[in-house]
Amino acid sequence: MPALTNTFLFVEPTDNYLEYGSVPLHQIVEANKQAGQNITELMGVDANPERIKQELANTNSLFFAGIGHGSPSVFTVQNLAPLLHAENPDELALMKDRIVDLCSCLTAQQLGPALIDAGAVTYAGYKLEFWFYTGDAPGVSRAVQSPFLAEFAFIASLLRGKSTGEARADQLKKYDEEIAYWMTGEGKNHADADELARILELNKSISVFLGEASVSPSPQAGALPMQINPMITFTVASIPIVYLIYKAL
Amino acid sequence: MSKELVARWYSKISETEKDLPLLLVDNYAYTPRMAYSEVMNGSALGAKLQSLIEMGKFGTSALDEQAIAKVRLQQILQSKPDKPMFATLSNKVYTPSELMQEIESGTQLGAQWLNNEISHMSNIVRVR
Repeated sequence: MPALTNTFLFVEPTDNYLEYGSVPLHQIVEANKQAGQNITELMGVDANPERIKQELANTNSLFFAGIGHGSPSVFTVQNLAPLLHAENPDELALMKDRIVDLCSCLTAQQLGPALIDAGAVTYAGYKLEFWFYTGDAPGVSRAVQSPFLAEFAFIASLLRGKSTGEARADQLKKYDEEIAYWMTGEGKNHADADELARILELNKSISVFLGEASVSPSPQAGALPMQINPMITFTVASIPIVYLIYKAL
Repeated sequence: MSKELVARWYSKISETEKDLPLLLVDNYAYTPRMAYSEVMNGSALGAKLQSLIEMGKFGTSALDEQAIAKVRLQQILQSKPDKPMFATLSNKVYTPSELMQEIESGTQLGAQWLNNEISHMSNIVRVR
């Protein structure tokens, strides 16, 4: 059975410094998801190989994205448990017909091409080390989020209905925006702006996209009704109350 | 060509970048701050430095590029507190001094930073 459109699976481990990526990934999914999309996020201990395989079988998602530690031929998840080996046909078959985004080091050397050979629609990943900044706690500053904001721009665009090729272009544009922010923009006088600009440049230069550029995991997303943020509903609803309180004074 | 272009370029780059060696004239390396001062004073050296900035080049050979890139990274990393600041998604974490060791030992990781620094220098001199 072909993988299902509008169906997304995100794998978000939180140990071994992976929370630095999982926190912004969760925020990006929350901010960009559209009505009618079936989204599963496996976080922390749920991001284990058995559970992931079970969800892939249950949801048959067209889109799979994971953050994890990697090597040229292996992608790992929570507790450094291997999920995909380039030499294992059964594991490669898990990604057949899917759009695959692996935010990890080195997998573009062997695992990415092996996934494409085994029938993945696209692969996005990195051919050398993916760097990030740990000067603050996970999720608390633009500095720790910045490398992941660029990487996950690909996901944000796909959730909003764009094709893989358009999402890739958006990702590269976001890299340039983040580099400019630290190099010449508002962030240029941050204590570690120099390192942050370099980290983004390094990651951009080793970012790899393989496969089909014209596939959209959520082709009708642009036409679907937007989900209303509950905070916006609260703010709008509270305007007459605030006005009445003001009038009473 | 005008001094305004140099002044605009200088105003856009970060305070740290202003004190990192970037431009090479007659085997001497100059920081943007030195270059700005020479250009504004209208010296002969300033004219050479201005010409490099206008062309978006830093005037080095491949060998010089490597040496200047290493000095730049040393200068940046030595000024940082020695706590874990850099991590990779291959489960490694580095303090600034550990990263500098990688660069000085010429490991694959070090080479990644060194090569990037050369392309970063190119981006800096082309800021407009």
